[in-house]
Amino acid sequence: MNNNWALKVASLGKIHGITDLRALEDTGPDVGTAKSALTGSIVAAWDVGFEVAPGEALGVIGESGSGKSTVMRCIAGDQSSTAGEVYLRSVDNGRANVLDLDPSSRRRLRVADLAVVYQDPAEGLRLNVTAGGNIAEALTAAGWRHFGRIRDRAAQLLERTEVPLSRMDDLVGTFSGGMRQRVQLAKALANEPPVVLLDEPTTGLDASVAAGVLDLIRNLLEETGVAAVVVSHDFAVIEMLTTRCVVMNHGRIVEAGLTDRLLEDPHHPYSQRLVGAARA
Amino acid sequence: MSPREHILSCRGLTKDFVLHTIDGRRVEALRGVDLDILPGEHVALAGSSGAGKSSLLKCIYRTYEPTSGSVVLRLRSGAEVDLPSLSDQEMAHLRGHDIGYVSQFLRAEPRRGPLDIVTRAGVSRGMDRATARDAAAVSLKRLNIEEKLWDVHASVLSGGEKQRINLAAGTISSPQLLLLDEPVSALDPANREAALELIGDLTSQGVAVLAVFHDIEAMERLASRIVLMRNGRVEMSGNPDLVLEVLTQGART
Repeated sequence: MNNNWALKVASLGKIHGITDLRALEDTGPDVGTAKSALTGSIVAAWDVGFEVAPGEALGVIGESGSGKSTVMRCIAGDQSSTAGEVYLRSVDNGRANVLDLDPSSRRRLRVADLAVVYQDPAEGLRLNVTAGGNIAEALTAAGWRHFGRIRDRAAQLLERTEVPLSRMDDLVGTFSGGMRQRVQLAKALANEPPVVLLDEPTTGLDASVAAGVLDLIRNLLEETGVAAVVVSHDFAVIEMLTTRCVVMNHGRIVEAGLTDRLLEDPHHPYSQRLVGAARA
Repeated sequence: MSPREHILSCRGLTKDFVLHTIDGRRVEALRGVDLDILPGEHVALAGSSGAGKSSLLKCIYRTYEPTSGSVVLRLRSGAEVDLPSLSDQEMAHLRGHDIGYVSQFLRAEPRRGPLDIVTRAGVSRGMDRATARDAAAVSLKRLNIEEKLWDVHASVLSGGEKQRINLAAGTISSPQLLLLDEPVSALDPANREAALELIGDLTSQGVAVLAVFHDIEAMERLASRIVLMRNGRVEMSGNPDLVLEVLTQGART
């Protein structure tokens, strides 16, 4: 049908513990647990699939432990997956399952094909390095060599993410949470990746700081045409950033749809509970 | 395209809600709605609350997923599509371009000002930034939003101001079909007048409008036809005078 995707995920699965597929039968939303009584394994995610087009943002919602972050980490390559396929349009024109790549090729995708913004900036940044240095690292990984140009580009990125240039040469560890998140965004966008994964990007920030970061993310998504996957338990974030969503429960997608439809007319019993709880 | 060709045709549209969190009970919001709208026609939905007016708008826009029935929209390209059969991505793409929806409440980023919000709405519908900005300025002026408020965060503005910003954003480009859900409910008489005039202009430009207003005056002023809903069905459809007479008689008895 629609072939205009930048990221395509199919049948993605992650089982912690022994890989015995009988675990699929006594886990999931219908059973109400992700832990198999039969095999003792935890089915963190199974049969997860979606496509994201350039300029589109897809939300992943569900409560803690539903498998949202597992899915992100399997796509990013931070975690190995048990099953599935992940395609990026920028890699072999979308024909290569990146899960089959050797570890070093897989890591290289993180330079310019796929960026991740983590909830904890310490995962995406080195706190004992300056803001400019963190960005320079991303640029040199992509082959930038000229010191002056690297500094100019870093300054441009920091300006875009509203980090005062006077802080460029300060260690990120001295920055506030909101400012660290802005530097993480600047670094993630440094090589203009076509796909970005945002894992709870505003969670843990003060309300006013979160609003600023959220506004910045929204601008960046609108202006860059990047394909984004946004994981958040906060519906206000999902509503503001995404047009479509999937709902996860005990490792499986239970429902997918337009974001406003999922929030106003959820069908699956779990989605109804989740939305009802947030609205109450 | 012949001017008599429908912009929108609903047939047998139903919507059931299944409430799993209570006891799985089924609530029927729409019980089979047939409705046609012509280009440049302004159809006002009347009926008591719970009659299904907002549900109908939301089912057309797919904020609610219809349970059964068809909703055929004629696109600018002349093609006809059944909205409930589209993929989510296809529907998302039509929104704003061919079908617009203006609700009672502004849903915008708290840290953006009116000019920015309305300009972005235009850009998201394919206008270039300068054109969108000009159109946004004209629309905000027309709706009496003071220029000194144009860069003030919308979250601190009044309910009436937010509602006018929402209307300006929703009408910055002309869709084939515009759905309006109580777009002037929070406005004082002068501002209400400006808003109604703006909506009336869209109709004369050929935009088909399907609207819910809480006051009869707005319907009298703008509607070319009134559709009276009751219990999730269309009870009556026709000339505004005729339907309003039935409506007001109903109110008296």
